[in-house]
Amino acid sequence: MSAKNKADEICKLPTPKRDTEWTLVWRHLRRNRLAMAGLIVLVLFLLIAIFAPLLTPHDPVITNLGNALAKPSSEHLLGTDWLGRDNLARILYGSRISLAIGLISVTIGMLIGVPIGALSGFYGGKFDLFIQRIIDILIAFPGILLAIVVVTVLGVGVENVMIAVGIASVPIYTRLVRGSVLAVKEQGYVAAAKALGIGDFRIIIRHIMPNCLGPIIVQSTFQIATAILWAAGLGFLGLGAQPPDPEWGAMLSKGREYIRTAHHLTTYPGLAILFMVLGFNLIGDGMRDALDPRSRKHR
Amino acid sequence: MVAPQPMLEVEDLKKYFPIKTGVLSRVVGHVKAVDGISMRVYPGETYGLVGESGCGKSTAGLTILRMLNPTGGKVFYKGKDVYAMGKEELRNLRKEMQIIFQDPFSSLNPRMTIGEAIGEALEVHGIARGKERREKVEEILKVCGLDTYHYRRYPHEFSGGQRQRVVIARALVLEPQFIVADEPISALDVSIQSQIINLLEELQGKFGLTFLFISHDLSVVKHMADRVGVMYLGRIVEDAPKKEFYASPLHPYSQALLSAVPSMLPSVKKERVILTGDVPSPSNPPQGCTFHTRCPRAIEICSHEVPHLKKVGPDHFASCHLVRELR
Repeated sequence: MSAKNKADEICKLPTPKRDTEWTLVWRHLRRNRLAMAGLIVLVLFLLIAIFAPLLTPHDPVITNLGNALAKPSSEHLLGTDWLGRDNLARILYGSRISLAIGLISVTIGMLIGVPIGALSGFYGGKFDLFIQRIIDILIAFPGILLAIVVVTVLGVGVENVMIAVGIASVPIYTRLVRGSVLAVKEQGYVAAAKALGIGDFRIIIRHIMPNCLGPIIVQSTFQIATAILWAAGLGFLGLGAQPPDPEWGAMLSKGREYIRTAHHLTTYPGLAILFMVLGFNLIGDGMRDALDPRSRKHR
Repeated sequence: MVAPQPMLEVEDLKKYFPIKTGVLSRVVGHVKAVDGISMRVYPGETYGLVGESGCGKSTAGLTILRMLNPTGGKVFYKGKDVYAMGKEELRNLRKEMQIIFQDPFSSLNPRMTIGEAIGEALEVHGIARGKERREKVEEILKVCGLDTYHYRRYPHEFSGGQRQRVVIARALVLEPQFIVADEPISALDVSIQSQIINLLEELQGKFGLTFLFISHDLSVVKHMADRVGVMYLGRIVEDAPKKEFYASPLHPYSQALLSAVPSMLPSVKKERVILTGDVPSPSNPPQGCTFHTRCPRAIEICSHEVPHLKKVGPDHFASCHLVRELR
């Protein structure tokens, strides 16, 4: 068998499993130690949120006034709060609330912001001008302020915090997606799709959006971190989760009153927020590098 | 004998792009990318549209296909007014008129397999789906010199020449009759160019395609085209059958272009017509004949009177004051 025939044979074998872009991204990410540290932190938080009842024998809401403000001990590893509830249990269960707020609010922001940004960028013209001026107004407010306004209108509570934080992140997504769409819609394959008579809607869904995914994913990881911070801030102001829900921001706020006598009520929820936000930020940083083909090539 | 009906008729087509400034987007001028061109393309023929970069030839191609909205003028495809078509008619037109772009690297979606990219149009137009779609795509892949196993591959796994074959396959899958080839080979290596040219010729023979072949390469046009139109600053300055054009170009611009084509015979010394200066800005074209600022033979009248495209031979048109009109 000649070499050429052999080469032909190899070419005709069933296509082997090849590297998709996502396996390349993963490979790059795996070599980034900070990103991996972030990922480990997040996986730990996820496991904690899921298995909280198995990790602590205490209940996060049942009070025990006889044992209020206890210092950390072997029974209560991180002490108890002013109502005698186990601090560790509250922090462990609190990760559920924070993760839920982070994920759901970002999903809300994405579901509203991405389509608006895509249509605005794709159609351009007066429609784009109109949408972008509204976004300008929204962006002029700091996100947390916008969230406070929305919560004030909707009323306090975890669900409303999610909606508020979600709405506050809409302008960020709209801007981001609009920018990516503006770049992608100039590509030859979009023109080719138009020439083939493929409808606008299908062009946006099948040709434009898949090529805008990178920035959206990166922004989302950062945005989850921001959302958790905003939610904690709202909780601190008393606008978020209501007692007795163990929300970290609210725990900080109430624990502040006892900071001289029982600092563990502020220190540990604070550290929990710090680590969760740090985890999302580290993985976001890693994703940004991994999704950027320029930085990927040289390693 | 009845004169054959042209497949494509372009009448005084214009495409201006507004130049906007300031917050209020005030229109301060226009880039006259295409400024009144007319042409006829007959079935089975290849019309070569040549000119320097920036002369508006690509814009002309896109506007003819109604990928851009015209500023003025008309285009008739098989006698039907392209710009008067409704949504449904336009969709059907897309099946008959296709375009091949210059850059095969940007004209394929990196996240779609070759099979999806080619087959999508079949599905959208309700021609074939599922197994039938796959068979059709594999067939067109083979026709374009690719293999069926390429179906599941992604664009980044292909070379430039192969990608251009994919692009051609995608354009042909709807079985169009008229194809605008917008510099289909200028982004490719010279060694690949001839392969793609041969493929296009082969396909033309097989399917009886009509081409509007846009290029800046006069030797390729000489090989491909039946008729040549020369564009300068948004206008056609000369329009002639290929043989006549290459044997006796009449417009000074055409003469300058042809004198710049390298000769295969070093012994033959050609007289070079060297043009000085740059192409003037299409937003502010010169008065009179747009070419007079660079024309080696310009006379007084050229600077204030616009020459019109006139009949200078039995089937030969040129817009130059120096060429006598044939009555």
